[in-house]
Order: sequence, then structure tokens, then C-alpha cells
Amino acid sequence: MDMLQHLVSGFGAALSPAYLAYAFAGCMLGTLIGVLPGLGPAAGTAILIPLTFKLDPTGAIIMLSAIYYGAMYGGTITSVLINVPGEAASVITCIDGHQMARQGRAGTALGIAAIGSFVGGMVATIALVVVAPPLAQMALRFGPPEFFALMLFGLCLVSGLAGRSMLAALLMTVLGLLLAMIGIDPVRGAPRFAFDIPDLYDGIGFIAVVMGLFGISEILLAAEAPVRDVVRTKLSRLLPSREEWRRSLGAIGRGTGIGFALGLIPGIGAIVPTFMAYVAEKRLSKTPERFGQGAIEGVAAPESANNAYANAAMIPFLTLGIPSSPTIAVLMGAFIINGITPGPFLFQERPDLVWAVIASFFVGNVILLALNLPLVGLWAKLLHLPFQYLWVGVLLFCVVGAYSLQQSTFDVWVMIAFGIIGYVFRKVDLPLAPLVLGLILGPAIEKSLRTSLEMSAGDYSIFITRPLCLGLLIAAAAVLVGAALKLAPNALRRLSFSGIPVKSNEGGGP
Amino acid sequence: MMKSLVKRALAAVAVIAASSGIALADDFPSRPVQLMVAFPPGGSTDVGARIVASIAEKILGKPIVVLNKGGAGGQVGWTDMARQKPDGYYIGYINLPATNTVVLDPERKATFGVDAFVPIINQVLDPGIVWVRADSPYKTLKDLVDAAKKAPNTIRTATTGILGDDHLAILMLEEAAPGAIFRIVHLEGGAAQLKEIMGGHVDVAFDNVGSVAPRVRSGELRGLAVMDHQRSKFVPDVPTMKEVGYPTVISSSTRGIAAPKGLPQPVLKKLEEVLKKAMEDPEHVQKLESAGLAVKIMVGDEYARYYREIHEQAKKYTEWAKSRPHK
Repeated sequence: MDMLQHLVSGFGAALSPAYLAYAFAGCMLGTLIGVLPGLGPAAGTAILIPLTFKLDPTGAIIMLSAIYYGAMYGGTITSVLINVPGEAASVITCIDGHQMARQGRAGTALGIAAIGSFVGGMVATIALVVVAPPLAQMALRFGPPEFFALMLFGLCLVSGLAGRSMLAALLMTVLGLLLAMIGIDPVRGAPRFAFDIPDLYDGIGFIAVVMGLFGISEILLAAEAPVRDVVRTKLSRLLPSREEWRRSLGAIGRGTGIGFALGLIPGIGAIVPTFMAYVAEKRLSKTPERFGQGAIEGVAAPESANNAYANAAMIPFLTLGIPSSPTIAVLMGAFIINGITPGPFLFQERPDLVWAVIASFFVGNVILLALNLPLVGLWAKLLHLPFQYLWVGVLLFCVVGAYSLQQSTFDVWVMIAFGIIGYVFRKVDLPLAPLVLGLILGPAIEKSLRTSLEMSAGDYSIFITRPLCLGLLIAAAAVLVGAALKLAPNALRRLSFSGIPVKSNEGGGP
Repeated sequence: MMKSLVKRALAAVAVIAASSGIALADDFPSRPVQLMVAFPPGGSTDVGARIVASIAEKILGKPIVVLNKGGAGGQVGWTDMARQKPDGYYIGYINLPATNTVVLDPERKATFGVDAFVPIINQVLDPGIVWVRADSPYKTLKDLVDAAKKAPNTIRTATTGILGDDHLAILMLEEAAPGAIFRIVHLEGGAAQLKEIMGGHVDVAFDNVGSVAPRVRSGELRGLAVMDHQRSKFVPDVPTMKEVGYPTVISSSTRGIAAPKGLPQPVLKKLEEVLKKAMEDPEHVQKLESAGLAVKIMVGDEYARYYREIHEQAKKYTEWAKSRPHK
């Protein structure tokens, strides 16, 4: 009851003209940051912190939060239209979102992304209001061993769900993990695979790699395609058809659930939920072959997960003061500059601020929807540009974006190199997503594995004596073994054809 | 007409002066100054940098841009700073003793030495603190040390990173309390410590007062000892190491601003003067203190001497950390 009162007065503050204006400005700026490839939410939010120095703490935090979730949404736009993720969490949206655009359904893809994001964001915020404190307590049970097991589970899930290309997916996962090893050892501090090149001490930049793998390779592929293959579309329709609604509703629901649940676990990052939501949809679908060909669920699920995650990640942050992503770490810096310490006592000490900020999440989600549905047409106009100008523009964006990461040309070279690698991989049908996941999770997996062993003084039994950890490891193994068994009948059949007598009721073989 | 001619002539003189290696303090700065932070945005070094930059740029007359070059415990940023031209347009934070241990640890293969930087001014001195969860069985530092003697290498003790001040502080305590051995777990920063301690995955943490002061004050965490000569005003109820019997365990993280070596004296003086004025500004002090950071201004010889002292101390414990059987 008390909480409801707080929320109502929070809305009173959030809807005041000044705070409404800050939220609006934040959403606009955030979307812009999201649209620019390379300029991710973390860098963008950090750059814009000085903008809010003149505001009061509540206003500053409302605006910065709006920049944060605005950027999470904005990244979708370029994913769909030009197959370049504006920020890392929209990588997965490229797969089907861009296919939809190629089929002339860019409007619908952006529409469903806006709707999915809205639903994900709203549901997660409602849940934040209701369940924040008890759930955040639960998330604490994830120590380093559980973290390790959970991430391993995530990687196995991606490979195990890849179907017949499971081996290729495993290969790419391992390649991603290997690339993640480059740089200074996160625990003992020795450089590895750095060849005494100082630029490699910090590892290879994830954003530069992703921009290369997806963006540059796309430009290369597009360059060799016949000119008639220009991606042109009319935004005839923003709202999905009845059939598309039917497909999307479940996907939005599941994506929201996955995004929300993973948002509670500190350190997961915004990418894993989108991947998990995507593979879950592919797994559940009766027609998994449509995925990668412009399946609307492939846009709806990760986009809902993305925004549900962004809002759910505020729970461990507000209640425990634990930032679960780099962007939230930046937000935390803004809180501290304003003399506010997030944590269990924040709700008692500054209820006015907390509830105004939470209410502004609702307001912000509405603003984003209202802002983006009509503006989708404007963004999609990009596609009416002649092919050569558009791709030159994209290339320029990528180069400037890669450079702006650390004002270093090294990242630009990394991006170009991975553009060529991505081009080759796509030519030979090797999946890129597991590589990206391996690369992003690699450092965290290594860190949690070695921290676990430091905790146990080198004893590996720490992974089997902790029930939650053991359960996750078993689940990870089950995913891989299950997937391998599913492939096994084919192998058996092949064996029977090679002369080994196997009793078979089946008439035909491959 | 006349004026612009004079301006041009002056500009030409300035170019000649600069190219011949003589920089005139009067010309500095003619463009924005970059202030490098060797840690990602949002950390306490970054917070301090942004606050001082916003005040100092008004005095300097040109923008001061905070540039985050995080990674590898600061090594990426410091490597970058050591390579820059010493013209005053690129200055950056050094975090003592982390900057020193990066140089001292041969495994890190640092491409710069301790002399690569000219210290300009120190901003913050954040003393170390030993802390546990409020319901921990260790009520005092004595409880903790006794337990570590009774069952050596079992108490999971968190640092905020290998060879940081917190890691060295654990070694100092082991030295001061022979027989006590801690099982050291290297975590990445204060947020990770908080999570693992609250979740019961780690037993005790060594960190700095600035990271945990509000939670210690509220009773959520228990501070066992502050590693300074006097109590911290942010956690006045926590005794000092001296009070609990270990007067040699003095450790802190200090953050100050330095430049690549070879900075011309007039530019150094100008930066020192501007930054000192900014750091003495009540707004600066108040903002840092509300973030739990104690301002400690050191300039000139005092700061240079401090830099040397910390380096010698860090040398001893880095060697020890490398040879310690329980790593």
C-alpha cells in the first residue's frame, strides 16, 4: 500500500513538465546513440554525463536512464535496415530483421521491435516495482562457480540448438573463446598472445570485431551482388498482419520472461538474453527453417528480451548497488556524482528520487513507442538512398565508430580484418553468432573459473559440491548430449549402409 | 586589420617557439586538454576526474576532456600516456600503488618505467579498510587474525585486483601477524567484492574507505580496521590498525594527475596552479566528500617524494607476492 503511494507520487514528479522534457531529450539522444554503430550505450551515456551536471539529481538520473534505454532501442534500427548492429545487444536482431527488410518488411520489423521493446520494458518495470528486493537477494546466490556454470550452459545452448551445424557452431564458439584470450591475463596480469603489441594488451575490441564481422562483411557481400539486389523497400505497413501478430505474441512474452530473468543476474550483459530468446524461439517453432529467412519471431523475441533486460538490470543496481553491465556502471557513476548511493537503503533514504526514477521508466517506455512508431518511416528513408551512397555511408559510420571507441586506428584495422574474416566465414556457411558469444563471454568465463579455483585453493570439487552449480553443469551437458543423440540416428543409418547388419524397419536411408 | 596582423605574428612566434622545444606558458593552452583515466567510466577515479575537470576547465579557459582508457588494471592507459608528447595537452591519472606494481611486476612486461611520468598534483588519498558482512563471526580484527592463524589459508579474502593496494595490504597484515595466512581471491573491483561477500562466497574483503563508507555507516557491513594513522571521518567508529595492534599496516590508494616526462617547466607550473585552485574549490571538496573520497592535495616535491616512497614500498611487497607459496 505504502509502495503504491510512493509510486503515485513518483508519477506526479515524473510527469512534471521539466522531468518529462528530460526524459524526452534522453530518449531522443539515446536513440541517436543507438543508431550510430560503434557508439554503444556505455560510451554514449558516459559522454553525455556532463550534459546533466546542471540538473538536479532526480532530473539528471531520469535523463541518463532515458539515454540508456533509448540506446538499447536505437540499436535495432540499423540492425534491421543495414544489417549493422548499432550496439552489441542488437547483433541477433540483424539475422531476421535484415532479412525482413530485404523482403520489403522493414516497417513491420521495426514496428514489432518497437512494440516488443515496449512490452518488454513495461512488464520488466512493473515486475521491478513488485519483486525487486526478494529477487535481488536470490541473484546473490550466484557466486563465481555458479556464474561459470551458467555461462557454460549458455554457450552449450547456442551450439546444441544449432541442429545439424552443431559442430560448426562448437568450432566457432571455441574460436571466439580463443580470441577472448588475447590480452593481459585478467587474474595474474601477464600478457598473452599479444606479441608485444601494446594495442593488444587490452584484447581485441569487441565492438570493432562485431562491426567488422557483421557490418564490413555485409558491405563486401553487397558489393559483389548484382546491382538489382539493392535493398529497397516501401514501408507499406508498420503494424504486423494478423498472422504476424499470432506468431509474435508468444515470442514477445517469452522474450520478456527471458530478458527479465537474466537481468536479475549481475554480469550477464545485454547480449546473452537476446541470444537465448532467439534460440528459444527457434527451438519452439514448428518451422525453425524460417529463422534466418525473415521470421518475425526472430525480431520480436530478442527485442523484447533486450528491453526487459535493460529494465530488469536496474533491480540489482537499485537494490544492491551492483551494476550488472558497463552502461549501468556508468549510471552508477552519475548517481555517485550526485551524492546518491544505490543500495538497499536508497529506498528508505531517498524514496522521492527512487520512485520518480522508476515512474520515469514507464513514461520513457511510452515516449519511446510514441517516438519510434512514427519515426520508423523517417529511418527507413535511409533505404531509398542509392546503393553506392548508402554503403559508403555505412562504411564511413563503421570507420568513424571504430575509431571513436578509443581514438585509435588500431580498432579500425581490427574491424577491417574481421570484416574480411566474416566475409569468408559467411561464404563457407560458418555461423558467426557463436563466435561472437564466445568472444564476449570468454573473459567472464575465465575470470569466474579462476576465481572459483582461488576460492577453493585449486580444488575442482567446488564445481560439484555446490548444488546450483552442479545443476547448471548437468543442464549444460544434457543440452550437448541431447543434441548429439538427435543427430546420432543418421550416423547409425549410415553405419548400417556400410555393411554392418543393423535391424531396421525403415525402408529408406539417406 | 592591425590587430589580426599582430595576432598572426604572435601565432608565428608561438609556432617557432613550440617547434624549437620552448613552450611558453602564456600560450598554453590553445586547445582542449585531455585528462586520461586508466579505468572505465563510473569508477571512483573517473568520478573524481570528471568533478575536477568540470571546475578546472573554467579556470584554464579551455575544455578538459576526460578520456577513459581502461583495461589490464590500468596498464593500457598508462602505456598510452607514456607514449604521448609532453606538451601538456595530454595529462592523466596515476593510481598509487597500482601504477608502481605494473612497472615492478616483470610478468606485466610494462613498456614504461617509474620515471615515465612527472607527478603534477595528488587529488585523493583513500585509506584501506578491512571489512566483513554485518553477520560475520569476525567481530574484530583480532578475531580474524586469530582465525587465520588457527586455520591458515582457509579464510577467503578478496582483493580488488592482483597487486593493487588491497593485495599489498593483505601481505602487510600477514607480515605484521606471523602465522596468519589468508586465502587470497582476486576480484575485479569493489562491486564484485560486495556481491561475493553478500552472497557468502567470500569471507572478508580488503578495499578502500571510499567504496564502502555508506554501507559501513548504515551497519550493513562491518569495518574491522582502517589502514591509516588516524580514523577516517567517513567511518568514525572503525578503529585504526594502530589501535588494534598492527601499526605497520598502513595502506591507501592515492589518485593524482601526472604528465608524460619532459613536460616543460612553465606548462607544469601552469597546470599545477590551475588544478590546485580547482581542487581547493569548496564545490570540488564537497562533491568528492559526498562520494566518500577524502581530498589530499600534494604538489611539487611533496608529491614527487611520495611517489618514490610508495614505489619502494610496493617493490618489497610485489617481490613477496611473487614468491609467496600460497598465491
